[in-house]
Amino acid sequence: MINEETLTLYYYDDGLSAGERRAVAIALGDDAELAARYAALCRQLEQWREPDATKAPSHVVQRWHDSIDRAARAERVEPKKSGGPVHFMSFFWGAAITAALAIGVGIGVYFSADGSFDPPVDDLRVSVSADESMSIPASFTRGLQVYLQDSQSEIVGLSLDAGADRSLLVMQIIEQNRLFERTATMNNSPELARVLRAFEPILMRLASEDISPEDAAALRAQLAFELNVVLTKLARDTSYEAQTI
Amino acid sequence: MVAVLKSIGAPTRAEFHEVIATRADRWYAACLRITRDRDLAEDAVQDALLNAWNKRDQYERSARLDTWIHRIAVNSALQILRKRRPGTWEPLEADIPDDTSTPDIARADEELGAGLTAALQHLSEIERVCFVLKHLEQWRLKEISLEIDASIGTIKQALFRAVKKLRVSMADLRSE
Repeated sequence: MINEETLTLYYYDDGLSAGERRAVAIALGDDAELAARYAALCRQLEQWREPDATKAPSHVVQRWHDSIDRAARAERVEPKKSGGPVHFMSFFWGAAITAALAIGVGIGVYFSADGSFDPPVDDLRVSVSADESMSIPASFTRGLQVYLQDSQSEIVGLSLDAGADRSLLVMQIIEQNRLFERTATMNNSPELARVLRAFEPILMRLASEDISPEDAAALRAQLAFELNVVLTKLARDTSYEAQTI
Repeated sequence: MVAVLKSIGAPTRAEFHEVIATRADRWYAACLRITRDRDLAEDAVQDALLNAWNKRDQYERSARLDTWIHRIAVNSALQILRKRRPGTWEPLEADIPDDTSTPDIARADEELGAGLTAALQHLSEIERVCFVLKHLEQWRLKEISLEIDASIGTIKQALFRAVKKLRVSMADLRSE
């Protein structure tokens, strides 16, 4: 007796030995009722073959395009670092933040403070459920605040004309951003990681050497604003935590 | 020589843009079916694209670029799902329908449309994933078994149950 399971595997041409397949084929030829059952099964499975049409949101598709552009651009910018000018402040903050991060992650293993985090602004298109809370170690939050403040002041003071220099500086911010994003993920803070990830397309556009000064100015203003929103939120949460300790 | 051939075969940035423009909806839909979460599906495609770009030297011209990225995207979705919900494949024997209904999931289901997607809601997570991978993604049972770290017998049982439940659900949907 050939059951539905065997017919299902026969349909998928998977999971049956050659001998079992032969036995099913013979039975289908000999048994009209079995052949009818198999035909009905095939009809149903075929109906489910073509998935419903689903469209990815256009802004998301644009982000995917951007991600390829920025990856390609990052490859071009990387070699410039060795011969390019040294940004002392970026280097200093990068080192300091990396150290803070390392300590933060270490401490985070033992101590975690509960805090909630909302998305910065709609422009970043980060959806976060309002009641979702994340455990963010306080040391990590402080390191993040330092990074965001430093990035904000660097972005505000960014020259709109010096393409290569601007590109290099922004790429350094992107590297630090990725570091924090990874650490947020490691600290089980996926929403914060998403918020940080959402900065990257804007930063990448700003890093582009071929954008006009007007576009660069607009992106600079947008980033400064977004960073400010996140900083305000972090400061509010930190203050709340301090009051509740 | 091999390196030269590989570099010749590496897809260009323009080719990536072309497949994103034409095939991204399919990658997104596949990831959405696996994760049932728009954000996770978006992340899966994003990760897949960056992985594909970084490993483009390993791409072989005999395969289609969009199919190659599709496979990477599905793997990313599975990884994200596993990371996000550890032990996600464990309740297999419990036969628990994955009828979790959060606003995000509801929106994801809405995007995927009615019909099959509505019926997929009545499956447990492992049944849904096994069915999607086998039926829509056309993976071999052995591949699914390796990917989700379960025996082939377990995968078969999940698939059988999925098909059985879907036949009932789809019949109900048609009669409504």
